[in-house]
Amino acid sequence: MEGTTDAARSASPLVAAERAEPKIASANARRVRQTGKWFAILVIAGFFMFPIYWVATMSIKPQAEWNPPGGGTIWVPENPTFDNYRSIFGLEKRSGFSSTGSRDAVPSIVNSLITAVGGTLFALVIGILAAYGIARWRAGGRLLPFQILQLRMFPPVAIIIPILIMWVFLGLQDTRLGLIIIYGSLTFPFVVWLTRSFFQEVPRELSEAAIVDGCTQWGAFIKVVLPQVKGGIAATALFVFILNWSDFIIALVLTQQEATTAPVFLNSLVSGAQGREFGSQAALAVVLMIPPIVFGLSINRYLVRGLTFGAIKR
Amino acid sequence: MEAGSTETGRQAPAKGRLSTFARSEKATAGTLITPSRLVLAFIILFPASVAIYIGFTEWSPVTGDQWWEAYKSWVWFDQYWAALNETSFWLAIWRTVLITGVAVTVEFILGLVLGLLFVENFRGRGILTVIFLMPMMVVPAVSGFIFFMLLQRDGPVNDALSIVLPGEVRIGWLQDPSIAPWSVMMVDIWQWTPLMFLILLAGLVAVPEDQLNQARVLGAGFYYRLRYIMVPMLKPVILIAIIIRAMETLKLFDQSWLLTRGGPGEASTTISVYLFREVFQNARWGFASAAAILILIFVSVLAIFAIRPIERGQEETLEEMMVESALGDDDQGPTSIPSERAGS
Repeated sequence: MEGTTDAARSASPLVAAERAEPKIASANARRVRQTGKWFAILVIAGFFMFPIYWVATMSIKPQAEWNPPGGGTIWVPENPTFDNYRSIFGLEKRSGFSSTGSRDAVPSIVNSLITAVGGTLFALVIGILAAYGIARWRAGGRLLPFQILQLRMFPPVAIIIPILIMWVFLGLQDTRLGLIIIYGSLTFPFVVWLTRSFFQEVPRELSEAAIVDGCTQWGAFIKVVLPQVKGGIAATALFVFILNWSDFIIALVLTQQEATTAPVFLNSLVSGAQGREFGSQAALAVVLMIPPIVFGLSINRYLVRGLTFGAIKR
Repeated sequence: MEAGSTETGRQAPAKGRLSTFARSEKATAGTLITPSRLVLAFIILFPASVAIYIGFTEWSPVTGDQWWEAYKSWVWFDQYWAALNETSFWLAIWRTVLITGVAVTVEFILGLVLGLLFVENFRGRGILTVIFLMPMMVVPAVSGFIFFMLLQRDGPVNDALSIVLPGEVRIGWLQDPSIAPWSVMMVDIWQWTPLMFLILLAGLVAVPEDQLNQARVLGAGFYYRLRYIMVPMLKPVILIAIIIRAMETLKLFDQSWLLTRGGPGEASTTISVYLFREVFQNARWGFASAAAILILIFVSVLAIFAIRPIERGQEETLEEMMVESALGDDDQGPTSIPSERAGS
């Protein structure tokens, strides 16, 4: 069995015969190469893991270990504690904290959640409708990928200046609704691109059969086609949520107090008088890091697809 | 035939039904894309007109006028000339291009090395891939903050260097104007090498093994296999990866704002940071609008060159998907081997 597939696959049987030979000859060299390979992997892994390790351990260090007074660095927390998290969630007001203690991060985290979820839903509704139209009837023509790319290439700062003027005018500045609208508008092109390919995989006959059976176009779309692409839409939703949750510049410009999101709050802590109170800032950073990492790992197949506008499928 | 016996109302206007059906399809298609058309118009046309309008004036909120009254300080193209003649505008562009060039090059090399290390299966490959995935999912502002902690003068990076190198190392990563841009690059490299790695790995895995084995048997060393088999096959993927990373790095703001705020002075000011400062620190709204439009024109020109390879990639992906679903999961490596390439 094996022999036949092998012979069929390789152009000449010679290849199959000789494939094993060099392996035996250089067993020693291979061991050296393996060691080198592992060494390289571990060094690079160290570079990529250390910053995450540092922020995670910083978040459980007590104040005395943040910036040891005598200089030096505490590599492993000696007295791990959850005080930083308690102060971030406003459970404990510490006397030493003038600002962090009185302003906890809960409202900003709530804002982040509401705006990211709201923006995602907004993007999903608009994006899914357009994606279905495009996949099924080629509505809108071939311009769409270009528009996505263009929206994505512009530095957000360049777009946000006139939008701030508009938002002040419309009374949307520093409101959650304002953020939801802008998040949804900037991320719906991703929904269009990502879900379009899922719709294309649904056979057209399915919705046609439903229509013959008495469904309206919309009925066929909602009852028959949508359930077929549930998984894809869920992945898209998580991807767009990550994008919205990660935003900093838009919220920095468009919010002041009421609708401040968690990254903006973190920024105000870092730039404020309590700039070197790393422990509680690190706790907030960890809280911010967790949702994207959890969601990202659960959709890592689509992550690359989304970030490359569908050009790379894994 | 059975249909005829059931309902005459449903059967009789067969022709009319078809045309209403077609019409309803067309109407549905139109309705489906209307909301997104509206949103695109709202998010592109309206801000664009406001920016163009403001860019012709010297308006700023501190003048006390409403934005639509900006015509009172109409100056035509003065703001554009001012931007084009301002050294710090050009310096910000140059710095951004430099940061992008260096960061994307390093990301590509590191990503390729990692991809080559990971292309064969080994124990622990799965968990290590997850580890390498993590930085790119960290909120960019947070990664700026993390490096802000790490790169303090008395921070862990300097302390670690002090252990390895003789004497006490106290590099001003964020304070020294000649080093600060490199610190910004470092964050970008840390955060986005994983994406480069994943893209290149996806490409490398797809290189047919038979071809590589054949080349190996014919005596081609690693370099020749890389140069004459892998790189040519990966070319579209490499192009897409580099374009996408370059596009994103040109917009760099979050990380650099948390890390250095463009400083010290303007030493690490990127285009985005420059625009932000002009508006919110110097209150030059008209000037920043004009500069932003210049940047948008610049970026749109780049976009024309950037879109082709990505579009092609998308089309190929679709074709691939169709071929895959037709063939099933069988491993269908190509059997013809261009031996003249692998030889010598």
